[in-house]
Amino acid sequence: MMVRALSADWLKIRGKGIWFLAALGPIGLVAMQGLNFGLRYDYLMKSYADDPWGGLLENVLFFVPIALFLGITLVCSLMANVEHQLSSWKQLLALPISRTAVFSAKFVQAFLILCVSCILLTLGTAGLGLLLGMGVEQMPYLDLLRIGFVQLFAALPMLALQLWLSLTLKNQGLPVSIGITASVVSMFAFQFPNWMPLKWPLLAYMGPGEAKVIGAGLLLGVVIACAGLIHFNRKDVD
Amino acid sequence: MTELVIQTKGLYKTYKKRAAVEDLNLEIARGDIYGFLGPNGAGKTTTIRMLLGLIQPTRGAIHLFGKDLKSEKMDILRRTGSLVEYPSYYGHLTAVENLEAIRRITGSPKSRIAEVLEIVSLTKEAKRPVKGYSLGMKQRLGIAAALLNNPELLILDEPTNGLDPSGIHEIRELIKNMPRQYGITVLVSSHLLGEVEQMADKVGIIREGRMVFQDSIDNLIRTASSGFRLAVSEPEDALQLALDLGCEGTLRNHVLELESMQDAKVALLVKRLVENRHAVYRVEEKRKSLEDIFMQIVGEGSRP
Repeated sequence: MMVRALSADWLKIRGKGIWFLAALGPIGLVAMQGLNFGLRYDYLMKSYADDPWGGLLENVLFFVPIALFLGITLVCSLMANVEHQLSSWKQLLALPISRTAVFSAKFVQAFLILCVSCILLTLGTAGLGLLLGMGVEQMPYLDLLRIGFVQLFAALPMLALQLWLSLTLKNQGLPVSIGITASVVSMFAFQFPNWMPLKWPLLAYMGPGEAKVIGAGLLLGVVIACAGLIHFNRKDVD
Repeated sequence: MTELVIQTKGLYKTYKKRAAVEDLNLEIARGDIYGFLGPNGAGKTTTIRMLLGLIQPTRGAIHLFGKDLKSEKMDILRRTGSLVEYPSYYGHLTAVENLEAIRRITGSPKSRIAEVLEIVSLTKEAKRPVKGYSLGMKQRLGIAAALLNNPELLILDEPTNGLDPSGIHEIRELIKNMPRQYGITVLVSSHLLGEVEQMADKVGIIREGRMVFQDSIDNLIRTASSGFRLAVSEPEDALQLALDLGCEGTLRNHVLELESMQDAKVALLVKRLVENRHAVYRVEEKRKSLEDIFMQIVGEGSRP
């Protein structure tokens, strides 16, 4: 059932700019670092002389949470808007499909779209490193993969929350404001205590306790998604 | 006894103490076209949303195809097609893509898309984005979507709302054909009796959340008759003759106005008049228009 809903959902988001957005995030991050390294090439390469790849990743790293939170907010809102715009909920939910399947399909769809962004970030960062003349032999494959995905897992609570709010509120003002606020605040996440979910994406990559943070992200994400699901199931559709 | 496709018992829906639907008992038999009537805000759409499981009833039971909506919702929805209020569609997609998005969920065969487009005569426009459609076309697409999974029951909420006369006519013809051609039971809501009268077998009239009339359309029309008018050559004498026969009536503008009576008595009266050399110009039934009846039923005892 969920797979059917998901297959319909892929069709619905065609031409809605969601894929464009999913690509814009990682490409923007990489382009920014391209500019950064391009302008200060000699200086930066000298300061990261013993580990240029590590230097590049570190520079990318600090912008990933804000991009991720913004991406989550906008993807969820755009996806929900496809249904809100012309009140398609009443048609969709009167079809022989459970609300659980509809909600899960949206969750999976948002997650997969963000995964594509993460892959693009990995590829883009690798490409930029090579372009800047960093050695193929030293390329840190694992860290390049981790930089997007690990943070995505740690940001799952945010994804669950944004999806819940976007799907159940017709007025997207609230979820979008919350999302943007969270993104901006997350720029200062480094100074937060470790229990703050906004700090988790950074912790999940840099530690301490990477595995534990990812576990916490998954757990809290599932808890929030379940709460959203229960609400979505009981909600009256107007 | 005919099988009931829709049956509700003591259905209530309350919003913050305001009752939108109160003690509603709908009964719709297989193969019927049921006109669900009421002024705007009477609770038609609320009822229909409850029938489709979109909103939870506060109290009461809903059975479709003899099954409980709560426990067998999926099975019921598989056999039901619906169009709730203004049509829902994804404007950036074409008609075919819109139907495909639904087909992927219902699992109907791909060929069905072309079939339903043919039924609502949208085949030619199928490849255009729906946002460029006229309201009538969107409404027809909504009906096509409702027909996609070969339903046994079609629930249409104000399908002709906002359409021009030719659009209304088209939709009406479409609905009329459903039971005949496909054996589909139809529930169609409207706030215009005249419109429903031309397609429904049975009507339910709802007012302020309560059912105030539920019977066949013929019975509704029967209550519309309210006596006769008789134009004759010598009205004064004729009235006397009528009164002697035990009819009740008065004279107005040289025309007899008589209370409604049995057919046999009408025949007898006319016979007597002719025997007494009255020239009978006209015998006409005095009818209230359907709108009058509707207004009377809907207006009766409105709560302050």
